[in-house]
Amino acid sequence: MLEEIDLFRLSHTMARHAGARQAVVAQNMAHADTPGYAARDIAPFSAHLEAGPGFAPRATRPGHLNGSLAGALPGFEPRIDRAAVRDPNGNSVSLESEMLRGVEVSRQHNRALAIYRSGLNVLRAAIGRN
Amino acid sequence: MSEFSNALSVSSSGLRAQAQRLRHVAENIANADTPGYRRKTIAFEAAGAGTEAGTVMPGPVRLDRGPLSEVYDPAHPLADATGHYEGSNVNLMIEMADAREAQRSYEANLKMFTQAREMSSGLMDLLRR
Repeated sequence: MLEEIDLFRLSHTMARHAGARQAVVAQNMAHADTPGYAARDIAPFSAHLEAGPGFAPRATRPGHLNGSLAGALPGFEPRIDRAAVRDPNGNSVSLESEMLRGVEVSRQHNRALAIYRSGLNVLRAAIGRN
Repeated sequence: MSEFSNALSVSSSGLRAQAQRLRHVAENIANADTPGYRRKTIAFEAAGAGTEAGTVMPGPVRLDRGPLSEVYDPAHPLADATGHYEGSNVNLMIEMADAREAQRSYEANLKMFTQAREMSSGLMDLLRR
């Protein structure tokens, strides 16, 4: 319902991206000592935003002339991080960089929720309830 | 929501695995002076598909095949003709390093668990006025 509003759609996707990336970071952490495990990662949200329609004009209903109708929400596929250095036992997880990613993810999630909440406040003000 | 519950179960499997590793370290240290004791080691494995996908499991317990230490003590009941008996092959330094690594990984997993919980409770806060 609220996903039709662009602001909500954006913050919704951002929060979903943070959730998916958090799951990948947690998996890497759990496998920090598993021999032969390759660290995985999901591209940062800005990369997803640039790959998608971005902020170009877009049709939101069939009657619009320019732009194409937005398709389904994008999926976030984890990729194996090939640049990571491997330990002698074949494990490529670095706890330090995972910590960094974890903090990044949690900040992004908080930011997305703050945007969503302030959008909700605008809507509440519009229907006269403060 | 499923992403968070997945993250929580993966983190808890990591916690469990590290705790079991720490238990084996404790067994090894306790038996450092047991004659003929071989130190136990476990390797972690990635669980397969299904609901368990992505979780970590402790593998089977293996015994260290390294040589047992020779202790010279002619008065010992197990001593052979030359006065030596076989001690354990536990190296306390290795066990301490292993315990420290297990603790570090345990804390990292715990941090991820807390973070996933905070993120999902932040989502729940949206429902509140």
